[in-house]
Amino acid sequence: MNLTRKTQDFLKDSLTLEDALPTQMPVYVNSTSYLFGVSALSALFMLILTGIVMSLFGPGWYHVSKIGRFFNSLHFWSVQILFMAIVLHMVTKYMMAAWRDGRWKSWMVGMIIFFASAFTGLTGFLIQTNWDSQWIAVQAKDAINAAGAGSFFNPLNLSQVLTLHVVVLPLAVTALVVLHLFYIRRDSPVKPLAE
Amino acid sequence: MSKQSEANLQGIPMKPYDLIREGLTVLAFIIILVILLAVLFSSPDYPTVRGEDVARLQPIAYLQTTANILAGNSEIQTYGPPYTSDSQNAQAVLGIAPATWFGVSTPLNPKEDFILQPLTKVALFNEDLGAALQTYQAAKADQQQTWLKAYMDGLDSATVENDIVNMPDGNYGPVPTLMNSMLDLGRAGLLEGMLDENAQLPYTLDFTRSLLYFQEDVDHNVAQSLNMLGEQWGISNETGPYPGGWWLWPYTFLYQIPPMSTSDNGDLQVVVIVLVMSLVLLFMPFIPLLNRLPRWLGLYRLIWRDWYHHEQHDTASHAAPGT
Repeated sequence: MNLTRKTQDFLKDSLTLEDALPTQMPVYVNSTSYLFGVSALSALFMLILTGIVMSLFGPGWYHVSKIGRFFNSLHFWSVQILFMAIVLHMVTKYMMAAWRDGRWKSWMVGMIIFFASAFTGLTGFLIQTNWDSQWIAVQAKDAINAAGAGSFFNPLNLSQVLTLHVVVLPLAVTALVVLHLFYIRRDSPVKPLAE
Repeated sequence: MSKQSEANLQGIPMKPYDLIREGLTVLAFIIILVILLAVLFSSPDYPTVRGEDVARLQPIAYLQTTANILAGNSEIQTYGPPYTSDSQNAQAVLGIAPATWFGVSTPLNPKEDFILQPLTKVALFNEDLGAALQTYQAAKADQQQTWLKAYMDGLDSATVENDIVNMPDGNYGPVPTLMNSMLDLGRAGLLEGMLDENAQLPYTLDFTRSLLYFQEDVDHNVAQSLNMLGEQWGISNETGPYPGGWWLWPYTFLYQIPPMSTSDNGDLQVVVIVLVMSLVLLFMPFIPLLNRLPRWLGLYRLIWRDWYHHEQHDTASHAAPGT
């Protein structure tokens, strides 16, 4: 079995250049609601960009530097826009019943992205190294411990939370987003509901 | 186009589209919006509550917290897994307590770890403290509790003058010496360092102990003043006039209503409900009624209004004679 040929065949069948970089769309794709997904992607791009800059200087940088504070503010507002865009994207896709015609995988991966983003947001609050992180850590631990997850995730352990937020979760969310986009482009935009 | 797309889009008219132009336009809009928000509103950064702040500004609260921990009354002393091996306080739903499944992963004995161990180290260069510590540890548990109870009662009517805590007369044994040494540690800004030290010094990476020290009354009082208590929608709020983690509202809402708001097992009850809600969202495409709801709600007509408009128009055109 030639794995390279198999991969080529898979891409020919599932993700041609026209799928990855489309130059035409079905005429029913004509609403601002189609922009919520790309808005979320743009906010994610900003988060990764500002996150990389902040990770170069460490979590305490923004407490003592005006430039650090500015990057923290960019990161903070990108989070707000990301979740706004994700929620609007989820609601409109629900209203469109966008899982029809075998698109349930796009829906389910999208939901997992939302859950992973919420957990990433929690770890972000926890590494602010200010009152918020202090309070959220001691509050969140009770639910995490009650669920039996306290043996694997300790919100009061800054090093664990930091590596999760800066490395593991961004990689996981990005990988899930790539998978989500693959399914979306492979399956094409869902048709309007029949009247 | 992929095989799947070709099958799905058969017979559907297409229009020209430029993915990269649309992506870059939206990205530029989001970048400008984020920069504007950051410049206009900055971001919240309320300072931490440190042992030093509490010791200087609220010495009696500091001493109450410390005496409470030494008396074994802190929440963590009998918390159960992952901190302590007793499980009577582990939260359970329908008799199932997931907290007990994986045992004690972060062993803590607040009496020892938070108070007696730091004092033992300070006693190496403080003879008075060393003697008081020896007296305290040589006493029977009943006697220790009697001293501590008297001391905690005395704190209720203690006064602070020129940074000195004046206790009413009472039989406190060696407890005031122990407590004042802990207060001095706090005032010197050394409390957190003493609590968080570990075998890999100087690489302290885990702040579990110091974060738990003031987690009861002191932290709750600060949180209340900032509108961040659990019953005030807690962790979904942000300090100052900033939006917080509002996407957690469905989670924090559950803490506002009974039985979760009043039950000792409230956290686990909320976790179970959130888990069920998450599974419903995840498996929405397969859940009867819920997966039909969008059709009945009809909001999709708004999203695809042009499509339906043209469809009706085309139908009418085809139906009209002579066209």
